[in-house]
Amino acid sequence: MSDPVSAPTSAGAGRVYDRGYRRYDGPRGGRRAAVQALFLGSIRRALGLRRSWKQKVLPWLLLAVTAAPAAVFVGVAYVTRNTPAAEVEFITYRDYVGISTALLLFVAATAPDLICPERRQRVLPLIFSRPLTGGDYVLAKAGAVFAVVFAFGFLPQVLLFVGQMLVSDAALAYLRENAEILWQAPLSVAILATYLALLGTAIASLASRRMVAAAAFLGLVLVSSTVSAVLLGSSSQGLGALVNVMGIPLFVRDLVFLGHIGDDTPLGGVSSGGVLAVACYLAVTGACVIILLARYRWAER
Amino acid sequence: MLRTEHLTKSYGSTVAIDDLSVDIPSGRVGLVGANGAGKTTLFRLLLGLARPTAGSVEVGGRSVAEDPVGIRARIGYMPEHDCLPLDQSAADVVATLGELAGIPARAARQRASDMLDLVGLDEARFRPVGTFSTGMRQRTKLAQALVADPEVVLLDEPTSGLDPSGRDEMLDLVARLGADEMSVVMSTHVLADVQRACDHVVMLDAGRLVVAGGTADLLDTTGTILVEVDARADELMAALTARGLACTMSGSRVEVTAPDADAGLDAIRDEVSELGLPLNTLATRLTSLDEVFVHRTPR
Repeated sequence: MSDPVSAPTSAGAGRVYDRGYRRYDGPRGGRRAAVQALFLGSIRRALGLRRSWKQKVLPWLLLAVTAAPAAVFVGVAYVTRNTPAAEVEFITYRDYVGISTALLLFVAATAPDLICPERRQRVLPLIFSRPLTGGDYVLAKAGAVFAVVFAFGFLPQVLLFVGQMLVSDAALAYLRENAEILWQAPLSVAILATYLALLGTAIASLASRRMVAAAAFLGLVLVSSTVSAVLLGSSSQGLGALVNVMGIPLFVRDLVFLGHIGDDTPLGGVSSGGVLAVACYLAVTGACVIILLARYRWAER
Repeated sequence: MLRTEHLTKSYGSTVAIDDLSVDIPSGRVGLVGANGAGKTTLFRLLLGLARPTAGSVEVGGRSVAEDPVGIRARIGYMPEHDCLPLDQSAADVVATLGELAGIPARAARQRASDMLDLVGLDEARFRPVGTFSTGMRQRTKLAQALVADPEVVLLDEPTSGLDPSGRDEMLDLVARLGADEMSVVMSTHVLADVQRACDHVVMLDAGRLVVAGGTADLLDTTGTILVEVDARADELMAALTARGLACTMSGSRVEVTAPDADAGLDAIRDEVSELGLPLNTLATRLTSLDEVFVHRTPR
């Protein structure tokens, strides 16, 4: 079977050469392996790996932007370690979860890049001719966006924590005093990353063009925050805060860090604000999951 | 290898597949029909990418409805339309699709290299697919269909877009693949391609089965004589009917069913001579699948 057979009749690119077909008798994974392959391939694409240098610029620049404040704060803490300014807390771990719009920009650029070309270039029939379901596809794509956003959101937290610990007078004491950060920070970042990943991929699944999807995502963020501000009016706090789609995961973050909605937030002081924030979070993420599963249900239609 | 039982697929009021019951054996099989005959829909049903409106589909004795994902692990598929990511190299595309079929990453890259070599894209495999000609994209699509070494490979119009020499080479390759342990089902509307590359043929027309069987068997229509005259075919048919021969007429062609071929030929020769008809064709065997298709398709 693997024997070489007749030589091509003529040379040149684009000719079909019958050089013999070789069977494959190595290991084969099943559905899980397929999902893992799609997940890892999507992460590679999101990070620009195996792509031109132009495709690498955006993700790594954004990572640098998200990590820069942490590096600066650690640097300032080091310089001021023996001065009264060392007691000043420039930024908290809670603040850092929502500090960077770089994550927003990353999702706006990456989610459409992972989703839209495959729909526009009609690659989906090839993907779904493999042992995958529509749900598997959604899991791999949204999971890839989640993983990268989580990494980009959590690594600066690690940098901040380790840096603060090393700069402090007593590293072990710092670790003991801030032990709760070790679960609060990753959980909060995971909540934010899940929200952004589902929202970004759901919006991208509704568009064929990357630019349209990115604009729709950022437009939703801008419009909802504007509407929220209008609804709040002169009062800085109220239920109108829940209209701001990007505010919702940050309210849930507060529940993780503080156990209640922060008084310094637009939802602070609102009765049952925490319950409402969680309900809104679940409603948005649930709606995104429904949209995604419906969009890729065609695979078995 | 592939079997359908009273298979029907409707999209609203449009019936794409209509009560199709057919057994498709292993080997090289041509799925023939005009555009809209239901070939691509049948492929989608075989892959479990579409649900039958009625009836059932089996691949290798396993119901597609019960395990569509498992079935897809055994099938390679080459769609007809453009479906390749244009910004990736052919090697990346084929390797990625190999991984999606469950092959480990390193082995998938090696298989991708082998398959691109097989289809003649060894030198171009690191170029983005977007820079490829139509023929090169067809070859990339074939390579990805083969990369996971499927038991069955479904090729939807594989010669579409190829120049004559590329078409010849593609058909040679299809014929050779089917000669190995792999089964190949090739859809096409070019009957000559099937006649050349396939051992079996399944003909569809408007979603219905026209005929299925061995290519050689279909070409050998023992007991049937075809007569084509340039004029007055109706008079010939009447005369042959009067002799007790069963006849049907289509245009200038008369088809005569004769249990004894020699006696039938003698009778036809005599009548044509007596009527002084201009004889065009007198044959006991169909000479091409086009003729089989025309002959069998209901009018």
